[in-house]
Amino acid sequence: MTTRLDQVSVEARLRAIQSITDAALSRLDDRELLAELLDRTRDILRADTAAALLLDFSSGQLIATAAAGLEEEVRQGVRIPVGRGFAGRIAAEHRPVILDRVDHTTVLNPILWSKGIKSMVGVPMVASGRVIGVLHVGSLLPRQFTSQDVELLQLAADRAAAAVQSMTAQADRTAVEALQRSLVPSALPAVDGAEMAARYVPGSGVVGGDWYDVFTLPSGELCVVMGDVAGSGLAAAVIMGRMRSVLRAYALETQDPAEVLRRLDRKIHHFEPEALATVLYAVLDPALDRMRICLAGHFPPVIALPGKPAGPAEVARGLMIGVDPAEPRQVTTVPIPPGALLCFYTDGLIERSGELIDDGLERLCRAVSAEFPEAACASVMGTLVGNEPARDDIALLVIRRRPGQAGSRVHSSSLLARDGR
Amino acid sequence: MYDAGFTVEVVTGVPVVTAPEEIDITNADHLRVALLESAAHGTGTFVVDLTRTRFCDTAGLHALVGAHKRAQAEGGEVLLVMPGDAVLRIFAITGLDRVFRSFTNLEDALAQIPGAA
Repeated sequence: MTTRLDQVSVEARLRAIQSITDAALSRLDDRELLAELLDRTRDILRADTAAALLLDFSSGQLIATAAAGLEEEVRQGVRIPVGRGFAGRIAAEHRPVILDRVDHTTVLNPILWSKGIKSMVGVPMVASGRVIGVLHVGSLLPRQFTSQDVELLQLAADRAAAAVQSMTAQADRTAVEALQRSLVPSALPAVDGAEMAARYVPGSGVVGGDWYDVFTLPSGELCVVMGDVAGSGLAAAVIMGRMRSVLRAYALETQDPAEVLRRLDRKIHHFEPEALATVLYAVLDPALDRMRICLAGHFPPVIALPGKPAGPAEVARGLMIGVDPAEPRQVTTVPIPPGALLCFYTDGLIERSGELIDDGLERLCRAVSAEFPEAACASVMGTLVGNEPARDDIALLVIRRRPGQAGSRVHSSSLLARDGR
Repeated sequence: MYDAGFTVEVVTGVPVVTAPEEIDITNADHLRVALLESAAHGTGTFVVDLTRTRFCDTAGLHALVGAHKRAQAEGGEVLLVMPGDAVLRIFAITGLDRVFRSFTNLEDALAQIPGAA
């Protein structure tokens, strides 16, 4: 008799495990999978409620995200601080907790005890070694949850954690891509006497924080920004978005590129002290015959004159944004003769695994010539990227001053002249 | 040959992080952990040995700058060992060569730290 019972329970247990690890589940999208998993968990543990709370890392609170038989928890947006109450304790101590008595002394969330739940068991949801949430089930009748129940619940929690991680990664990726699309100009501005082309390729693995911006000022000047925020994913993209906005605002307020970057550095120092970025900020005169440029840790543009080999413009170096707001910043004036082509880029273009930066820069210079900007972009991307998926983001912006333009003086050979403003 | 990891050793009482050939977004988190481990040790000043390192992207620089700022807040600093041109070039372009003190070998770096013995 006992043997028969054991056999039944073993079979039931196997069915339960199959129900949780069922391959059919993976055909559902992650959100549906989480809901279905809660339903099945509630059934196999013969419980009345099941709920998943996910950890919000910024607030340190668990947020009710999905539930079966306890939907009001989700609808009311229940939040439990880590370390407090039943779920908070599970998250803080990374271990299962069984409750035989549910009341205000053991459970923080009044929905649970007012609903008449008598016994509960919960386990941590762990992904990549850290707790990302809590999964718990409850019973309206008093019962003793067993170690087998805990084990089954943990199995479900592991499956749920994987689904949540994939859901978060997908949501982040979607948000980052949407952000990046909104941050890179949808069309380049039309400027008399200038021809422009650009390329933007997000990194193949994690999306980084590269961006570029090009816009005209009320004065008729043309403003160019290239930037690379350290870090990746949503966090970097959000900082990149903020930098882009404030740079546009400062560009309207001050004519001095060094002052624009000083203001950016002060703003970052105060509001985002953890951020670090390289930024290039340049203003081209309305006649396009010179550019005032300030670098904050960014690579200098490559400049090509008609019929001559291209080379990096000689521009005063400056410290990255996010290190020291008191850093003095220097503006360099670069003359732009008719037909000259300027190539702005982020480091992803010239960095290759196992290769020195200078080799990459040299390859870029060899690929650039003072041709039509679309052709120049195609040549640069063809030579430097080819068919390899880029590890890092790549941003490339090419501007050519139309050749043979009337009404402008041709500067002497002092192309790389410096002005110490 | 290629080592993705960072090692932390205590040399004459000073934590020394030895970096691999490349530091980028794929291993910058390991660097961060090694730096936190070193900072927790003793005086707050420690050394990052970039002798083998030929490449460091913004993710790596981010970790180093963060560690340096935290060390400075506690009266310490992060000293770098950079004998080659490769990584020095990256520090020159980003302006960080003027933020960190760097040395061409580990002995010179350790000699800067009072109490190292």
